[in-house]
Amino acid sequence: MPVVAIVLLALPLAAAAVAFWVPPRAAGPVTAAAGVASFGLVLALIPAVTRHDVTALGFIRIDALAAVFLLATSFLYGCVGIYSIGYLRTGGEHEARNRRYAGRFWAGLNVFAWAMLVAPAMSSLALLWIAVEVTTIVSALLVALEGTDGAAEAAWKYVLIASAGLTIALLGTIFVYYAGAQVLGQTYNLAFTPLLGVAGRLSPAVVRLAFVLAVLGYGTKMGLFPVHTWLPDAHSEAPTPVSALLSGALLAVSFYAILRFYQVTQAAIGPRFPRDVLLAFGVASLLLAALYLFGQRDYKRMLAYSSVEHMGILAIGVSFGAPLALAGVLLHVLAHAAAKGNAFMGAGVLVRKYATKQTGLLTGGLDLLPWSAPMFLAAVLALSAMPPFGIFRSEFEIVAGGLAGDHNVAAVLLVLLVTVAFLGLSATVNKMLLAPRPEADLARGEPSAWMVVPVLAGLVALLVLGLHPPAELTGLLNHAVTALRGTVPHGTGSGGAA
Amino acid sequence: MLPEPLIQVLQVLTVAGAAPGISGVIARVEATLQGRHGPRILQPYYDLAKLFRKEALAPEGASWVFLAAPVAAFACYLTVPLLIPVLTTFPLPLGYMGDILGGGFILSLASFLVAVAALETGSPYAQLGASRAKTFAAITEPVVLFVVFTVAMLTATDLPYALAATVRASAGQIVRPAHVLAAAALFMVILYETGRIPVETHSGTNEFGMIEEARSFEHSGPYLALLRWGSAAKQMILYTILLNVFTAPWGLAATRGAGPVLLAMVALPAKACVLGAVVAVIDDSFAKLRLFKITEFAAAAFLLAVLGVFTLYLGGG
Amino acid sequence: MPPAPAPSVFAGTANVIAVLILLAEFGMFRQALLRDQVRLYAGQSVLIAALAVLVGAVQQLPELYVLAAVTIALKAVAIPLVFRRLLRETEPEHAEQTGHDIAGTGGLGLASTVLIGLAVAAFGFFTATALPVSSGGAPVTALSVSVSVILVAFVVMIHRRDVASQAIGLFSLENGISLASLVVAPALPLLVEVVLAVDLLLAVVVLGLLIRLHHGRAETLSTADLTELRG
Repeated sequence: MPVVAIVLLALPLAAAAVAFWVPPRAAGPVTAAAGVASFGLVLALIPAVTRHDVTALGFIRIDALAAVFLLATSFLYGCVGIYSIGYLRTGGEHEARNRRYAGRFWAGLNVFAWAMLVAPAMSSLALLWIAVEVTTIVSALLVALEGTDGAAEAAWKYVLIASAGLTIALLGTIFVYYAGAQVLGQTYNLAFTPLLGVAGRLSPAVVRLAFVLAVLGYGTKMGLFPVHTWLPDAHSEAPTPVSALLSGALLAVSFYAILRFYQVTQAAIGPRFPRDVLLAFGVASLLLAALYLFGQRDYKRMLAYSSVEHMGILAIGVSFGAPLALAGVLLHVLAHAAAKGNAFMGAGVLVRKYATKQTGLLTGGLDLLPWSAPMFLAAVLALSAMPPFGIFRSEFEIVAGGLAGDHNVAAVLLVLLVTVAFLGLSATVNKMLLAPRPEADLARGEPSAWMVVPVLAGLVALLVLGLHPPAELTGLLNHAVTALRGTVPHGTGSGGAA
Repeated sequence: MLPEPLIQVLQVLTVAGAAPGISGVIARVEATLQGRHGPRILQPYYDLAKLFRKEALAPEGASWVFLAAPVAAFACYLTVPLLIPVLTTFPLPLGYMGDILGGGFILSLASFLVAVAALETGSPYAQLGASRAKTFAAITEPVVLFVVFTVAMLTATDLPYALAATVRASAGQIVRPAHVLAAAALFMVILYETGRIPVETHSGTNEFGMIEEARSFEHSGPYLALLRWGSAAKQMILYTILLNVFTAPWGLAATRGAGPVLLAMVALPAKACVLGAVVAVIDDSFAKLRLFKITEFAAAAFLLAVLGVFTLYLGGG
Repeated sequence: MPPAPAPSVFAGTANVIAVLILLAEFGMFRQALLRDQVRLYAGQSVLIAALAVLVGAVQQLPELYVLAAVTIALKAVAIPLVFRRLLRETEPEHAEQTGHDIAGTGGLGLASTVLIGLAVAAFGFFTATALPVSSGGAPVTALSVSVSVILVAFVVMIHRRDVASQAIGLFSLENGISLASLVVAPALPLLVEVVLAVDLLLAVVVLGLLIRLHHGRAETLSTADLTELRG
């Protein structure tokens, strides 16, 4: 199994190198193949991680929790890889610019996916931080790729705010190192497993401080209010496939980092404090996003605010703490990746079809796009937690866990705000897709089949997650929840610290 | 063994006697740095001697205050050396007459008297200089206060002798941030008080930029001599405070023996010359600030002084 | 109140260096000219390296010498060089025509900057004092100073209205973290430190690219026009 893990982390990098050297037409299929292959590799890892942690080379350690996030990322990587082939072919820009653009796009996309796959697979908090920082750097370049005024502004804001946030997260990491080194000695290298082993002896005040810094720092990348300000800009200005990865995978990876700190903090000082912190950030994010969803004129921005909303739900879900809620949170990560990926990919089709991101200029989607429009609608409904999609199940579990764990007020608030968000989302989307288009200036038809297939895959995933999650997945989630709740069933001494 | 009153008198004489010389050294170093030959080091003494022989004039309508101010100010300047460790490490009988604040009050009284005399003249330049001096003094005063706070927290007293003794006590006292910051802030205040770059040009005829220098425009003869001498004495006093209390309280007489006291009488001017050379280098390396930027200079000094107090509260200062 | 006891020579010197780092940060806050700001950043980095050498020598942590060398090479030489080239290339030749003069782009007056800086620094000082941290590296006071540096760096990034100053603010923020890590984590494995440094270099390159992109589009380094994306 270690070999699988190593191949998984080497593959995207190799794909990036290949994509950089071969002509753009070949780079697309290479990327798509690498993406699909990495999804397959993660699937192959799942049975192994439910038995014990997979470790390799001393710094790779994949447990059930990490596997959940790898699954989300690699799934989107594959989908976006396929989708981007169509997205670039329908770009229709000048050939020379297109070639340079495509070369950078493919290389950047692979490196970005690589960094996001590396982050959860790292055995130490320091390496995790570095991987997340690399995602910032690469994705900032991808955001700027379009070269428009808006893209330049968004990329600047993104890199500045996210880097500043990550610097705070680094401070948190350093404080964890301090706490760990007090117990484990100066040669301690921030590895995660030994830290968890001695968590009970860590200095409570320092751990508390580190957790707050980490939530603030990684929360910046995750898009928690009030440090979410870069997010709508970057998501709306980036090339749409990149937006899908940003929203579905990158935010989740940052959330993963917070979960690691949550694990340590909970083991060191008990669950109460970290849960309160997450609850506060979560409710604030959900509230802000639900309100901002009304009256958005740019549908990619609207989807971005929906991401803030879902990140808020994740934070609240963790704060509930019950096993059911935590399982819901992890399922939510997967379902959100599929749904938000679908929504952005659908939005990309709309961008190509209508050549605008303004909701006001966009009508009659269902008439013009026989496949993409219904699937976009489905994705938006899924994002609004409609049955039978995966997010319905996950949010149901979160709320049920909250009610069971005596968090009635927060649970009711969550349901209320999600409903508000649903109203905001659906009002806009209905008009975009259902209102008849007065002028007959656009022909009926899909821009590219490449842009339909991955969305179909996402839809299938959403339905599977919603209707009947496979037993292997449920097992994986249960293992991850056990790890999150602090009772490590296995692998405490299995290394990874080397 | 010299009697203590005699040492006390010697303190005053050292300051008063060496002060013009220090000004001469600074002028000379400055000239050398600029590639000029420059005046003799003793030139200020000759200037004073010449001025004392000249007749004194007063503007029409000026009251007795105009003529009394230089004398009174000079008397103030000669009082301060009684309070600070000029020659000895141990406090002399009159040393407890006033603390750092007391010395500060006397210095401000002198400055106030000169300003009043400048207002008496009716000359626009003299008045401009006086009003500017008072305006900026309002900004530098809090800096001095914070420096005093720092001293008070370092020694639990506000006596200059006590701080000098504390500084001598251990090397840790010299490198502690509170002390370094306070000394730096005080140095900036001294640059301001003695009318040095970057606050004002010491030699020159740019009346619009003048602060300190403009105030004595209407005085002449012995009165001008007293003002000049007073300025030099003030500079010497401030240097003495910085050197013998803050940065280099060495070379002072530890006993009343004639030898150590004589040594101290040589050491202080020597140290002051070194400090003067530093000031001259600063004079030549920076441009004068625009008048409105002087507040910025004072703000920087304020920042240093406040940070000094902060670090003390942190425990490691 | 009894007199404050004197710290050891090592603690005193280390604290003085830490305070100088904070003063450099204040300088960046006040400094109008970008070139001087870069110079201050380089100076601040040299101070960090000096502190690393001092701590390494006194606490017998030889790996800190390597850290100091990397710091000098990267932060005191490489990054300022990159920035100076960038500033040369983006010289605001048409400053009068476009009305964008980026010197002194702060939105606040003197008194406000000093007071805000002091207030923020004071907050940092006194919050960090409450931490139960004992150090195997630089003295704990330096930790309080580092928190102040970080907070003032944030104010710099918020207050300045041009991309170059904001980037410098970000990097000096990182210097603040370096200072903190010298207190709480002086023995942080060298490998991690070096990877962090490389990562920083990467960030510099990307920031440089973005600054150039911004300048290429807007003919200015000012961020006054970056107002398209709202809501």
